[in-house]
Amino acid sequence: MKKMLLIVCCVISSALVTTGSQADDKNPLVAQIQAMLAKPTTLCGRFDQTKQLSGMKKPLLSNGRFCVVNGKGVVWRTLQPFPSVLRLTRDEIVNYQGDKVAMRLDANQEPAVRMINNVMFSLLGGDLSQLDTLFVVDGKATATNWHATLTARQPGLAKAIGAVSLDGAAYVNTIHMDEASGDHTTIVFSAMQSGDKAMLPEDAALF
Amino acid sequence: MKKNKPTIFAALWAAIVCLLLAHNAYLWIGKRISPDTDIMALLPVQQRDPVLQLSFTHMVDTAQQRALVLVGATDWSEAKRAADAYSEVLKLHADVLQTTAMTEQTQQDWLALFAAHRAVLLTTAQQKNLQERDATYWVESAQRALYSPFSGPKLGAWRDDPFGLFAGWLQERAQETPVRPRDGALFVADAAANGGRQYVLLSLTIQHPVFEMGTQQAVTKIFDQARAAALAVVPGAELITSGVILHAAAAGEQARGETWTIGLGSILGIILLMWVTFRSIKPILLIVLSIVIGCLGALSICWMLFDHIHLLTLVFGASLIGVAQDYGIFFLCHRLKADAQLDSTALLRRLMPSLALTLIAAIIGYAGLAFTPFPGLRSMAVFSALGLIFAWLTVVCWFPQLVSAQTLKGGRFARWYGATIWSSGKMNLGKWGLVLVLAAGVVAGILQLTTNDDIRLLQNSPPQLIADQIKLSRLLDAPTPVQFYLLRGNSEQQVLEREENLKQRLDPLVAQHKISGYQAISNWVPSEKTQRGNLALLQGKILSGPLNQLATQIGAEDTWSADTRKQMMDSGHILTVTQFMDSPASEPWKHLWLGQTADGYASIIALRGLAQSNLAVVQHAGDGLDGVQWVDKVGEISGVLGQYRHYMAWVVTCAYAIVFCLLFGRYRGATWRVLAPAAFASLITLAILGWTHHPVQLFHVLALMLLLGVGVDYGIFMQEKADDANKLSAAWLAIGLSAANTLLSFGLLALSHTPALQAFGVTMLIGIAMVWVIVPLFRKGDAVQSGKG
Repeated sequence: MKKMLLIVCCVISSALVTTGSQADDKNPLVAQIQAMLAKPTTLCGRFDQTKQLSGMKKPLLSNGRFCVVNGKGVVWRTLQPFPSVLRLTRDEIVNYQGDKVAMRLDANQEPAVRMINNVMFSLLGGDLSQLDTLFVVDGKATATNWHATLTARQPGLAKAIGAVSLDGAAYVNTIHMDEASGDHTTIVFSAMQSGDKAMLPEDAALF
Repeated sequence: MKKNKPTIFAALWAAIVCLLLAHNAYLWIGKRISPDTDIMALLPVQQRDPVLQLSFTHMVDTAQQRALVLVGATDWSEAKRAADAYSEVLKLHADVLQTTAMTEQTQQDWLALFAAHRAVLLTTAQQKNLQERDATYWVESAQRALYSPFSGPKLGAWRDDPFGLFAGWLQERAQETPVRPRDGALFVADAAANGGRQYVLLSLTIQHPVFEMGTQQAVTKIFDQARAAALAVVPGAELITSGVILHAAAAGEQARGETWTIGLGSILGIILLMWVTFRSIKPILLIVLSIVIGCLGALSICWMLFDHIHLLTLVFGASLIGVAQDYGIFFLCHRLKADAQLDSTALLRRLMPSLALTLIAAIIGYAGLAFTPFPGLRSMAVFSALGLIFAWLTVVCWFPQLVSAQTLKGGRFARWYGATIWSSGKMNLGKWGLVLVLAAGVVAGILQLTTNDDIRLLQNSPPQLIADQIKLSRLLDAPTPVQFYLLRGNSEQQVLEREENLKQRLDPLVAQHKISGYQAISNWVPSEKTQRGNLALLQGKILSGPLNQLATQIGAEDTWSADTRKQMMDSGHILTVTQFMDSPASEPWKHLWLGQTADGYASIIALRGLAQSNLAVVQHAGDGLDGVQWVDKVGEISGVLGQYRHYMAWVVTCAYAIVFCLLFGRYRGATWRVLAPAAFASLITLAILGWTHHPVQLFHVLALMLLLGVGVDYGIFMQEKADDANKLSAAWLAIGLSAANTLLSFGLLALSHTPALQAFGVTMLIGIAMVWVIVPLFRKGDAVQSGKG
C-alpha cells in the first residue's frame, strides 16, 4: 500500500513534469456538470469496489464507506475484506491498519501527495473543473444525469492511471478505470448522505 | 680600460632590461595572460597512490564544474515564480551556464532498466522479511495492497509485482535524495521545524574552467543579475548558492584586493621613508626602479619556466619588495655617509662582499621554500629568488653610474637616526639578571607552543558562502566529496561484494543516526552473488507457496500462477554494472564508480549527513575489511601540512648551519654574531606565539626561514662596519630603513585575510622587529668586550 502510493507519487509527479496549463478556457460540459452537482460541505456514503484483473476468473470485491469534507479532505474506510483506513488531507496521506499508522506520506517531502489528494477530492466530489489541467474531459449530459471520460493530457499519467470515466447526477455515482495493463476497476457509490450528521463519529475523529 | 668595465656592464644590463620589458609587454598585452587562482594547485601533488588520487579527482571533478542554486519561499508558487525569473536570466547566458533539465523521458527510461531486472533487486529489509516471514504474511500483504484504493495506478500491471517488492526497492532508492520532481522543476523542502520553506533546485553546469578568473567574474555577475531578477519578482525569496567557483572567486577577489592594498601600502611606505631620509626624489626612483625590474624579471623567467603563474605567487611578489630594496638602500646609505671624494664605483667595490653575501644568504632563505612539496610555494621561491637577483644586478650595474656623491644630501632625520645606534653597554649583574628573566620567559613561551595543521584553519571563504554551503548540504542531504570510502578489488564483482560487506557495517550507523545514509553503486547494482541470492529467495519463499495460495484466494485462472512465475523469472537476469552505466539512471551516481584502474577495480561509497563529531566512529567502520579504505582528504592534507611543518623546522635548522659555514670563511670567530640576531629573534617570536596561544603551522615555520635570510643581512651589515663610526652609522641607517620597509611589507601581510599569509606576516612582523632591536647588541667590540671589560 505504502509502496504503491510512493510509486504513484513518483510516476505522477514525473508525469507532471511537462504538464503545463493547457486547460481549455471554458469547457461547456464541465460547466453543465458543475451546475448539476449538489456539492455539499460534507458528503458520505458507501462504496463497492469491483476490480477485474487480467488473468482472474472472478472480480475482486471490496466495500466500505467514505467521506469527503470540503476544505479538509477524504476518509476512505475499507471494511471488507481487509479493514483499513486511508485519510487524505492537504498536508499528508495516512494509512491506518487498526490503530496503527501503517504509512504516512508528508506533502512537504513528497509534493505529489498534494496532487493525488486533489485528484481524489475532485473525483469523489465530481469537481471536474479542478481536473482540467491534468485531463481532457469529454462526455455528455442530459437534464438529470451525466457521463464524463477523462483522458490524461500527459502520456506518463495516462500510462499510470489509464482511462477514467465517471457517471453521476447530483453526486458521482460510478467511477470506472481502465488500465493499460488490462486491469479494470469500478467503484459504485450508494447511500449518499450530506450535511453535518452524515459523518460517523469515528470518521469525524480522524479530522 | 678598467674604468670602462662598469659602463659596459651598465649597458649590457640596459639591453637585458629592454628584453625584459619587451617580453612583459608581449605577455600582458599580446598574450593577455591572467594568473591562476586554483587553490588546489598550491597543494602537494601526491604520487603515492594513483587510485586514491583518481578517486579524489573523480569526486571533485564532478563537483567542481557544478553550481547549485536553491530558490526558496514560504509558498511553492512564489518559489517557482522567483526561480523562473532566475532561470530567465541564466538562459541569456547559456554559453556560460547550462541548466540541467530533467525530462519525463529520462525518468521513464531509468525505471525501465530496473523493471526488466526486478526479480534480482531486493532491499535488505525485504531479504530479512523473506527469510523470516511465513507464507500467510505474504499472501495477506499482497491482498491488502490489491484491495486498497490506490493499488490501481502503478508501474505496470498488478501481476508484475503482486507482492510490492520491486515497488519497495524503488522506494528505497527514491529515499537516497529528498529532491522530487514537481511541476516541471526540482523540489525540495525544509523540515517543518525549520519553517518548512519550499525550494526550487537549479543544477547548473559551468561551461568553462572554474579556476579561470574570466569565468569567475562572468559567473558571479550572472548570479548577481539572476538574484536581482528573482528578488524583483518575489522580494522575500531566499537564494542559496553553492559551488566551488564561488569559493574560488571569493579567494581570487580577496587576493586581488590584497595585492593592491598590501603592494600599494608597501610602496607608499617605502617612498615616504626614503624621502624623509634622503630628501630627494632620485633615490626613491632608483629603488623603485630596482624593484620593478626585479618583479618584471621574475615574472618573465617564471612564465618561461612554468608557463603559468599563480595569483598567490604574485601576492608574494608584493612582499618581495620589502627585501629587494635592501641592496639599493645599503648602497645609498653608504653613499650618503661616505667621503665625497670616494668614487661611486670604488664605493661599490668596497661594499661588494657585503652585498654578495646578503644576496646569497637571502637566496638560501628563499631556497628553503623550494624544498617544500607545494608547487605554489616552489614557484614563489623561484619568483622571489629571481626578483632578488634582478634587483641586485640593477643595483650593482646601474647605481654607481647613476648616483654620485653629489646626488644625496641627507636630511636631518638621517643624521639623527644614524646616531641612535645603541649598545648594551657594560654588562653587570642587573643586566645579566634581565637577560636571565627574558630567557626564562622565552623558554616558558616555547614550552607553551601548540601546533595545529588542520587545513580548515586555512579556509577563509566569506561566512555567507559557508553558511549557504551548510544549509544547502542539509537541505539536499548531500555527501561530502572529501571524505568517503574507497573500495578496491581484483574484479568488478569483488568490488561490489566488498561494498556490500561495508554496507553491513554502515547500516547500524544509519540506525544510530551517525550518518543519514550512503550512496553506492551496489545500491543499484548488487553483486552477482547477492542478485542470485535474491532470486533464490524469491523462488523459494514467494514463487512456490505464497504465489499459489494467493492465486487460489483471489480466484485466479489455472495458468495465472505459472504465467506470473514465468514472467518473474524472465526478469531474473543479472543486472550488470555496464548496463547500469549505459542507462540514464546512472547519471547522478557515475562519480561513484572508478571501474578498471591501473591497479584492479575500484569504487566509492559516499556518506550522507556525516557530522565531523561522528567522524571518529564512522571512519573505523571499515576496519578489518579487505579492500576498504577510508579516504579523508581534509585529514590527509592536514597530515601533509603537519609533516612538512616538522620537516621544514629541520630545514630551517640546517639552513643556519649552512649559512654559518658560508660566513665562517669571512668572519671566523665572529660568525655567531652575524647569525645570533636572527636566531634569537626567531626564538622570541616562537615564545610570543606560545604565550598568545597561536598554534604553529607550516606557514609560521616558513616565515622563520625567511627571517633567517633577512636577519642575516642585518648581521652582515653590522659586522662589516663595526670598526668605523661613520660606516657604522651608515650600516645602522641601512638596517633601520630596510627593517622599517620590511615591516611595512611583511607587516602588512599580517593584515591579510588569507590565513596562510597572515600567519606568515605575523611571524615576520615580530621577528623583524626583534632583529632590528637586538642586532646592535651583537656588534663586535661592543657587548661582549664591554662584558669582558
